[in-house]
Amino acid sequence: MRKTFRSKRILGVLILSFMASFSATAVHAEEDVPYDTYNYNYWEDVIKTPAAYTPAGSIGGTDLGTTAFKEPRDFCISEDGEIYVADTGNNRIVVLDGSLRNVNRIIDSFTAEGIEDHFSAPYGVCVSENGELFVADSNNARVVVLTPGGEYKRVVKEPKSEILEDDFAFIPLKVTVDYADRIYVISKGAFEGILVFESDGTFSGYFGTIEVKISVWEKFWRRFASKEERSNTQLYIPTEFTGIDVDADGFIYASNIDSEGTQAVRRLNPQGKDVIQKGENGNVGGDIRYGNYGDYSGPSEIVDVVYRGKGMYSTLDRKRGRVFTYDKEGNLLYIFGGVGLQDGTFQTPVAIEQIGEEVLILDAGRNVIMKFRETNYGNLINEAVGLRFDGDEKQAIGKWQEVLRLDENNELANNGIGKAYLTAGDNEKAMHYFELGMNKEYYSIAFKRYRNMILAENLGWILTGAMVLIVAGFVFKKIKNRKKGIEREEGLL
Amino acid sequence: MKKLLSKDKWLYALHTVSHPADGFYEIRHRDRGSVAVALIFVILFSLVWSVNRISAGFIVNDIDPRDVNSLTELITVLLFFFLICVSNWSITCLMDGKGRLKDIVIAVGYSTLPATVGILIGTVVSRFVSEDEAAFYTMICGVGIAYTLFMMLVGIMTVHNFTLGKTLITLFLTVVALLLIIFIVLLIVDLVNQFYSFLHSIYQELLFRT
Repeated sequence: MRKTFRSKRILGVLILSFMASFSATAVHAEEDVPYDTYNYNYWEDVIKTPAAYTPAGSIGGTDLGTTAFKEPRDFCISEDGEIYVADTGNNRIVVLDGSLRNVNRIIDSFTAEGIEDHFSAPYGVCVSENGELFVADSNNARVVVLTPGGEYKRVVKEPKSEILEDDFAFIPLKVTVDYADRIYVISKGAFEGILVFESDGTFSGYFGTIEVKISVWEKFWRRFASKEERSNTQLYIPTEFTGIDVDADGFIYASNIDSEGTQAVRRLNPQGKDVIQKGENGNVGGDIRYGNYGDYSGPSEIVDVVYRGKGMYSTLDRKRGRVFTYDKEGNLLYIFGGVGLQDGTFQTPVAIEQIGEEVLILDAGRNVIMKFRETNYGNLINEAVGLRFDGDEKQAIGKWQEVLRLDENNELANNGIGKAYLTAGDNEKAMHYFELGMNKEYYSIAFKRYRNMILAENLGWILTGAMVLIVAGFVFKKIKNRKKGIEREEGLL
Repeated sequence: MKKLLSKDKWLYALHTVSHPADGFYEIRHRDRGSVAVALIFVILFSLVWSVNRISAGFIVNDIDPRDVNSLTELITVLLFFFLICVSNWSITCLMDGKGRLKDIVIAVGYSTLPATVGILIGTVVSRFVSEDEAAFYTMICGVGIAYTLFMMLVGIMTVHNFTLGKTLITLFLTVVALLLIIFIVLLIVDLVNQFYSFLHSIYQELLFRT
């Protein structure tokens, strides 16, 4: 008895150790990332997902054979793949090649009309489609336009207009240019919106003003407040924009810090109207669940946005160091990144760009550019969303199936497969996948078709059954009546 | 118990649903109601409620099925039921209500029947509707619940021999009493907790000293 007990125990230990070693190998090497990777499901619960992007090293100034960056604030990528870094603390623009290994050139001065001039805290940088370099020279209150080589072309000076307030100070922080060479500038403290300049530098007005939301409750209290109290309460001013990017159609993506945490990015059409799609839960503000106490509490603080192509865009949160990627419809695709001291985490993330398959993050605390490479999981989602954007849902189904193999809770993947089955006419399977993807609208469509199909197939049976019931009812009534009649007759007799 | 659950009592419960005013009058004055039947109705209501939450059709069902625990829901419904009865009784006692606690229990218990039936039919229907027909589901459940509320109102009114205005006032006061009871219960629970932790720390202190 005792012996069997012992042998059982040994067996147990063996099984346990085997399982442990198995599970250790089961964890994929590429999932070993220094941050949480998760997403939100239909009920807005946090669901762990595989990593979509993994850290792939960082590049600082000394790695490139120049002096270290000092609080770099912005960077951008030109059409020909060069990377322009606004090295704000060192008052220079550093131009790297696409591989991020070599410095092509450093622009720290230019000759304007015969006089040598320098930057003072160049905060933002942008290269237009025509290859012109725009530098938001913040402390000099101007936007300098240069050739890519650093030759002076022209300058956009402080705007003069009636619509500007008298004490308006022009401190350009971020700049971007659309296909028509209109210049969009975010100026510090300009709550009215983005400043737009024509290509020759004339100011044409504000753009994309964020409306202030005052709740009914606040209005109610303001009604009862005295003049003194009213002046003591904080002013209801809209938030400033923080980052800006432009997509292929000339729509402007602009991020802002939203105190509600619901909308931190806007997609502005040429009239300056927000046309972003907010998805199922109406939220494009980063984290949906967050704590209310402690260091990393409160809604996400989105500091930059990058258009990723095929309707996708990514936003960068400086509070928890997350990168949120959305598709055109505003569905949250994946989340990666985190704040910390480990390799692959951020201290002060300030800007985000994409080059090829890699996502680059500029960190003003570490003074480096961090590279993130897409994993198999991230690649599958990117390609499936891209195929869907092109209207090729049938092609996407294979990708979505692969995604489901890695992450079976992925609602987008379930919906993608469901849609493919719906177009193929397999309503029952479509219903199954839409239920897993929590998509009531499409489930309803599939269900209606399925119901009609069942009805049509069994119409013969249903009608026959109804006829039989009616006839049976008649016969039953007749028999009952006759019986009653007999009884009555008997009673009479 | 046998007498309580006789066929007559069951049939009379159905009669009360179709003729609330007369039905509740006879329950009060001729003892034709049954507390056991009322309790069974409440338990049935709770079960149907859980069934609805778990297996109503996907289109109308917004609930994560993992969140549903029919046992806790049963306990919650029963507790809430007794709270309503007790608070109504304590208010109507002070306001010349003629009803006994037994009558209130029967009145409230019998009133749950239409809601139970409505939600049950709604749950079945919900499995066969699409999104634009979901209104049927809402309507069926709504009618059941509305009739339940109506029956409750008539029941309380008849059992206590109140006018409509007085019934509404007592119902409002019932809600206040309900909140008061919850508040006091929470207070007592907290007090007991603190007292317990006080004793526990004394016990631990003694344990460490020796």
